[in-house]
Amino acid sequence: MASFTPNLEPAPDASLQFKPKKPRITLQTPSSCPSNQRTQRIKRWRTQRDQHIYSSKLFQALRRSRRTSASREVHETADRVLAGLARGTTRWSRAILTARKVTKHKKAKLPTNNRLRKPDIYRERRKTTAVERKLKVLGRLVPGCLKLSFSNLIEETSDYIAALEMQVRAMTAITEFLCGGTGGGPQPPADRLPSNVNS
Amino acid sequence: MSGRRSRSKQSSVSSITDDQITDLVSKLQHLIPELRRRRFDKVSTSKVLQETCNYIRSLHREVEDLSDRLSQLLASTDSDSDQAAIIRSLLMQ
Repeated sequence: MASFTPNLEPAPDASLQFKPKKPRITLQTPSSCPSNQRTQRIKRWRTQRDQHIYSSKLFQALRRSRRTSASREVHETADRVLAGLARGTTRWSRAILTARKVTKHKKAKLPTNNRLRKPDIYRERRKTTAVERKLKVLGRLVPGCLKLSFSNLIEETSDYIAALEMQVRAMTAITEFLCGGTGGGPQPPADRLPSNVNS
Repeated sequence: MSGRRSRSKQSSVSSITDDQITDLVSKLQHLIPELRRRRFDKVSTSKVLQETCNYIRSLHREVEDLSDRLSQLLASTDSDSDQAAIIRSLLMQ
């Protein structure tokens, strides 16, 4: 429940920058660092503030949407809100936002017509090393990052991992809140709680 | 540096310095909880990438599970809009 303690100052959307100016947040914030963009990017998804913002946005989005009975909808909403928080600065977030309506049809890798391929001894096939193969797999895992250069891919991956971790934390908190909040947490003043308090 | 390979279709691994590569890989290694404690050993690039993929997949799975639970929870608590307002106010203060 700690993640829902009201530490959030009423932050309008415009202040969703990654240079938090308010030092009264209990967690260490990047405000102490010099305006080093890289350091701020490192801390980007790790502050409590970001997590609060994400949790509340996600919760609002979930409440607004009437179709949250499918877990896939919830997942997509969570991803969209997460990508939205990134403000278009990363490739994976842009890919998520633009890929919204696409159903999950993974393009099957079309087998190359073997009759048209020269036999391997004639093609100077560069052997894909293990590292290169794994890079490819990684590129498929991070949305929008197929065919990215090595350094860009690593950058995107780092940001993506941090964002995913925050997503997990936030969603866990929301889940616990919804599960246990009605039972064991701070009781909301209204008595009209749903009867599934003990679910 | 671009002439290192004769192919046009080269992976970018060959067009940046080795130092940059090790830098980036170690940065990635730092993010993976599995490998964080082994920071001072040399972990091979291949292993770092492998663990990264595994970690991302496990995170995806966790989010899947969580959204599953959330969808069930939301389906059951969807009725009371007053409660929603209360929760909102608690969240946003």
